[in-house]
Amino acid sequence: MQPEDDVKLLKAIAARDEAALAQLYDRYRVILFGLLMRILNNREEAEDVLQEVFLQVWRKAEDFDENRGRPFTWLVTLGRSRGIDRLRTLAARDRVAEAGAREAIEEISDAATDAFKSEQRGLVNKALAQLPDEQKRPLMLAYFDGLTQSEIATRLDAPLGTVKTRMRTGLMNLREQLAGKGESFGF
Amino acid sequence: MVHDDYKEMIPARALSALDAAEEQALNEHLENCAECRKDLEDWQATAAALSLTPDPAEPSPQVRERILSEVRKDLSSSTPEVIPFRSTPKRNIWSSFGSLGAIAAVVLLTALVIGLAVLWRQNQRFTRDREFVELVNTPGARVSELSGVDPGQVATAKLAYDRTGRAILMASKLPSVPQGKAYQLWFIAGNKPPMPGKTFVPDSAGNAVLKDELPREALDANVFAITVEPASGSTAPTSPIYLRSF
Repeated sequence: MQPEDDVKLLKAIAARDEAALAQLYDRYRVILFGLLMRILNNREEAEDVLQEVFLQVWRKAEDFDENRGRPFTWLVTLGRSRGIDRLRTLAARDRVAEAGAREAIEEISDAATDAFKSEQRGLVNKALAQLPDEQKRPLMLAYFDGLTQSEIATRLDAPLGTVKTRMRTGLMNLREQLAGKGESFGF
Repeated sequence: MVHDDYKEMIPARALSALDAAEEQALNEHLENCAECRKDLEDWQATAAALSLTPDPAEPSPQVRERILSEVRKDLSSSTPEVIPFRSTPKRNIWSSFGSLGAIAAVVLLTALVIGLAVLWRQNQRFTRDREFVELVNTPGARVSELSGVDPGQVATAKLAYDRTGRAILMASKLPSVPQGKAYQLWFIAGNKPPMPGKTFVPDSAGNAVLKDELPREALDANVFAITVEPASGSTAPTSPIYLRSF
């Protein structure tokens, strides 16, 4: 997966190339769907949002500016944002979140999880594992649950200032852990 | 608040974790601070790494179908610039010419084109048709018809191929391509990236015959497509699909 290839794909999509959208979908569907399943914990909702995300990519690809970030970041930020939006609007959010067992996730084919993604995932998980729990939890609650710093403070029963510091420090530490690997990550 | 205060808020903004009032204040600052905007982009890239931590998951194949179905609907109702090399918009031809001379020129040109097409057909048709028919009659051979993505397109093509990968594409009514460009055939199998075929340029009448060898993996292709690419060919499509099998 090379960022420049993704840039070409996004340019082709902006030029209304259906095949390019299909290619981008094939490249990122398992990452994005995994992310949406983590956020929504509901297969039907996650698939619906995944569809929304790629239709938005189709309509908004021309908004992507390669000088302002990598395609991976753009796509994932878009996907996560739509996922959190859906989470917030789900009236039955608690029911969904507390449904208990996670929904079964289909086995991923080798073609869909190439070595690149597996390697990256390993690196990020390793970097996260090195963060103290007090820094990691605010990051996870913000990123996957869409909670604001105030909400996290309430959830963790911690002073707001402390949460702010831990969140910032946590993200800085994550960046340091991943430093130098960014190019190969594509973000 | 001063610049450094805003700067401290940016990591939380990258996680969209600021409270509404803080976010609004920071957004106003970002409008006038290029340094902070760049910072935000960097922090967003770091935050995006978190997306890799959940278990990858496979959506049902219907999601892909639904997305592409919506896209096709959008394309079929979209504006002319969507499709490259589309013929010029339809208009009242008689109002387009100012003189009988121009009309005569069109008549002559049309006659010339028809004459050339007839000659071409006489010379080429037997050979290419025979080869095509031979291929179609090979045991296990398949024929796939390609048509325009845009309903207004008149170009069509047929692709015959057998189990050994021998393939012949016959296309007609193709618009000419600009200098340095050519049509390129693609083989698409399931969710895999399109596999490139050979490039070709139609003759003056818009006809083209291409003999190609399908890669082994392309024998399972369920979609064949044609795009316009640089004459040297591309490894991945760089323009919208012009013709495709349905």
